[in-house]
Amino acid sequence: MTQRYDVIVIGGGVGGLATAALLGKRGMDVHVVEAREHLGGLTSTEDIVPGVPCDTVDHELGWVPPALVAELGLDRHGLQLLYCDPCATALVPSAPSESIALYPDAQRTAGALGRYSTNDAAAWPAFALRVAQLSGFLRALYEVPAPSLFASGAGNLVSMLALGRKARSLGRNGIFDLLRTLPMSIADVLDESFENTTLKGLLGARAVSRILQGPRSGATAFLFLHYHVGLPSGAVRGMLTARGGVGALAGAMIGAAKAHGVSFRTGATVARIDVKNERTRGVTLESGEEIVADRVVSSLDARHTIYDLIDPVHVEPELSRAIGHVRMRGATAKVNLVLDGAVPLPNVDALRGPLVVAPSISALERAFDNAKHGTMSDAMTLEVRVPGVLDPSMEGKGGRVAVSVLAQWAPYGLKSGWDAASRGVLGDRVLAALESAIPGITNRVVHREILSPRDIEERFGASEGSLTHGELALDQILFMRPVPALSRYRSASIEGLYVCGRGCHPGMPAAAAMLAAREIVRSARGREPAATPPPAPQVA
Amino acid sequence: MTTNGSRTRYDAIIIGGGHNGLVCAAYLARAGKKVLVCEKRHLVGGAAVTEEIHKGFKFSEFSYVVSLLRPEIIRELDLPRHGLQILPLESTVTPMPNGNYLAAWGDHDESQRELYRHSPLDAERYDDFGIMMHHMAHAVKPILAMLPPDPTSLSPRELVALARFGGHMRSLGEERFYALHKLMTMSSADYLDEWFESDVLKATKSASGIIGTFLGPRSPGSAYVLLHHYMGEIDGAFRAWGFQKGGTGGVSEAIAGAARAFGAEVKVEAPVTNVIIKNGRAVGVAVGAGDEYYADVVVSGLDPKRTFLGLVEEKALPGDFLTSIRRFKARGSSGKVNLALSELPRFTCMEPENIARWGGVQIPAARYLRGAVSVSPTMEYVETAYDDAKHGAFSRRPYMDVVIPSMIDPSMAPPGQHVMSIFCQYAPFNITGGWDDAKREAFGDAVINALAVFAPNIKQAIIARQVLTPADIERITGLTEGNIFQGELALDQLFFLRPAAGYAKYRSPIERLYQCGSGTHPGGGIMGASGRLAALTMLGDWPA
Repeated sequence: MTQRYDVIVIGGGVGGLATAALLGKRGMDVHVVEAREHLGGLTSTEDIVPGVPCDTVDHELGWVPPALVAELGLDRHGLQLLYCDPCATALVPSAPSESIALYPDAQRTAGALGRYSTNDAAAWPAFALRVAQLSGFLRALYEVPAPSLFASGAGNLVSMLALGRKARSLGRNGIFDLLRTLPMSIADVLDESFENTTLKGLLGARAVSRILQGPRSGATAFLFLHYHVGLPSGAVRGMLTARGGVGALAGAMIGAAKAHGVSFRTGATVARIDVKNERTRGVTLESGEEIVADRVVSSLDARHTIYDLIDPVHVEPELSRAIGHVRMRGATAKVNLVLDGAVPLPNVDALRGPLVVAPSISALERAFDNAKHGTMSDAMTLEVRVPGVLDPSMEGKGGRVAVSVLAQWAPYGLKSGWDAASRGVLGDRVLAALESAIPGITNRVVHREILSPRDIEERFGASEGSLTHGELALDQILFMRPVPALSRYRSASIEGLYVCGRGCHPGMPAAAAMLAAREIVRSARGREPAATPPPAPQVA
Repeated sequence: MTTNGSRTRYDAIIIGGGHNGLVCAAYLARAGKKVLVCEKRHLVGGAAVTEEIHKGFKFSEFSYVVSLLRPEIIRELDLPRHGLQILPLESTVTPMPNGNYLAAWGDHDESQRELYRHSPLDAERYDDFGIMMHHMAHAVKPILAMLPPDPTSLSPRELVALARFGGHMRSLGEERFYALHKLMTMSSADYLDEWFESDVLKATKSASGIIGTFLGPRSPGSAYVLLHHYMGEIDGAFRAWGFQKGGTGGVSEAIAGAARAFGAEVKVEAPVTNVIIKNGRAVGVAVGAGDEYYADVVVSGLDPKRTFLGLVEEKALPGDFLTSIRRFKARGSSGKVNLALSELPRFTCMEPENIARWGGVQIPAARYLRGAVSVSPTMEYVETAYDDAKHGAFSRRPYMDVVIPSMIDPSMAPPGQHVMSIFCQYAPFNITGGWDDAKREAFGDAVINALAVFAPNIKQAIIARQVLTPADIERITGLTEGNIFQGELALDQLFFLRPAAGYAKYRSPIERLYQCGSGTHPGGGIMGASGRLAALTMLGDWPA
């Protein structure tokens, strides 16, 4: 017997879960299908060894729009967002005492920087303010569907006018600064303000994380600002997580979704999206089971969705070609460690935020050069989190300590190919870089789990292991994301097919879910999309 | 015109006799203004000059090919009458390390047949690519002739300009608009990857995307430079680049001739030391050892850094403008090697056994050496050349664009002998430890060695060589850091941001001080558009 739903959501990561919950709340009968046994996708928290929880892949949440938290009542479902404090600390391998910490409070950071450079200390408050203002504009841009020169309808006009107003609020100099800064390289931006190489390495690493670009590549300044959307003013390089790990966001969304009648199926891989007469009819699982629905929403990346799940006869050649051109290029690996004791770092407070090993812009650039040419750098760039320090609920049992490491650059397109040997080399290089920054740490490692971009692709379905479902670059954002034909979250050629997730504008799954869900609800009612703000949160 | 003691009074004084300064002078003189051009060197042209560096051999020392010169300027100034004569450069041959080559010809079918040898798929797509780039160039062309609108202004005139700009974008249609968006933001390598599979083709095409910039082919932003260089192709056939008869200096001479014919006065060996400012208003210039000239307006054809950080007192300028100018990037990235040759180079890829081995077409030297030879064998080669430069060294194996002007215009060299112009990238201005004579020669050797890989006889053919590093280019022409575009063509330095936000319309914070160099919109290449638009702006403002 086949089952029938209003909507099937493919993929139970944050993007899929949020979309499902929002649609459930609108009274739709929604079913989520997830290939893994565990829900949360790239934003999961699991025990790496029994009793020791760790963020499985990504270890930060990115922007979680307050309107989404309110609308789904996520706090009632247990969500407690946490900001790292310090925002980040740079470790200097050769000189451990030279570490630089950034704090949410710009004045405090400026004070700390004064030890290294009075010039940088003086420049800091204005830089922090500028980052807040420019990323504030991006935030406004991320709250509405990407404005388009070609989209018709009042909705698009309202989007454009809202953005115009926001832009005006930046003032004349602010607008020019925004237009000038977005295409710049982070190296150029930082050189204009700062002189300390450690500080520039620390900030520069943020602007290239999760992509295959170096700090001297154009538009890395955009990515730097992108990561600041939603952060409090002053918290440069800040990072958002949740009590219980990043997976707690997925957990709260599951709670909200269930409360709205959403049903789930895990361990079930979708083999194809069924299309008949240019309409979706549902999905067929790898088991052969069919699930019927009027609408199918995919939170997978666009390449996976269009190439792997839809019979090519239903895909227009232009769309197929555009999808083929989307750059994924994962270059970030994940290494999860279990230590049999505390991290041997004298400065325990630093562990309340991420530790960064990226000694300078030129070191970053050289490491990137290796990746660009298809090899693995022997000087890895690391972002290290020890979740149990900021959040006691993440402490491991029996004194064991989980350490979460995002490591760049380990390119998906490694010339020698990914296998057990290259994965081993990756692990060794990450540990070597870690040891040089935190002497004595490797002796305490009792377990290590290594996820190369290839592993991330195989286990989490992210094409080429891209943690952003498509590189965040100026030609792959806004109305270009994931491709112009899908930038309004729905397919023009296959009725009832929608996309959501981090592969869509604005590149962050929770924010994209709000826009996608709005579009799905509207088109279900057969109405022209309009850019009205989301409805006011309802108090239960 | 009035005289004030020994000092002559003009309507307009133009600082710098480069091609933009001369174009500006010609347009102002054409409108009846009394114009003086002050050039510091003994000849006009700036970076577009021809000099006899070795006896009997004439070098287009810096800028060596012409294609971007705006047709309306050629027409309006009647430049052919003053000696402009462009001889077409008809082909590009890229020698490959395996002994094969890739050639592109003026004849479309011939190019396509040649490409077919490398990749049937690419040969099939070549037309579509050409059509797309043609449309893109047409889409950008009106922008080059447009005063940049101010996106922050609410004045009706600016809003209309902005709306017109938006309308122009819409008129492209969706597909082309998205393609243009990609060209404006992508790397040339990624853009070309979307079209082609042949590495040597992509490497050769991507080279256009790095010229004069401090970007590698994989750096976002390089696709725009690719388009900028494609612009020359829209009025003619494939790669309608050419030589000025007698060398590039002839272009400058033609424009100067037109300017003089309209009554402009051109002074050489007249280095301007500062702009004279009275009551916040530019009133004249001080030249050399104490001469002063006065005028209603002063126009600088120098790059923005040299103009505002060198010729104007700091206190005369607002702080945020100064900051913008200091931040304006003009990182020199290219060098030039000019050779006097006793014989023509023999490229191994044209030897019969290599032709037979790869199924190529035997091309006589008399034909392919009339075009360019591009040393850009693989994407990896060009990208690695950039890697060296971004870490502070010149490229050990540089990208090179090689032309032999004497093949087209025999008057450039003694009979039977030749001049060769090698444009090479990358040679960073900010080389670790700074440039000195030893490094200059080492760079020259690297260039010759890299060329000798493909044409082994080059070394014994050299009679004389001139190596120009970015430091030399700066010293001789005055271009800051030797940047050939007076400032990089990067997205954050184009259109209404060139050279500084709010000052993109050829004006400056100082009343009656204007700018007309390629550091202003629309930028470099021997284009002349900046000089023309600056003149038209001033004439609109007159009396300033």
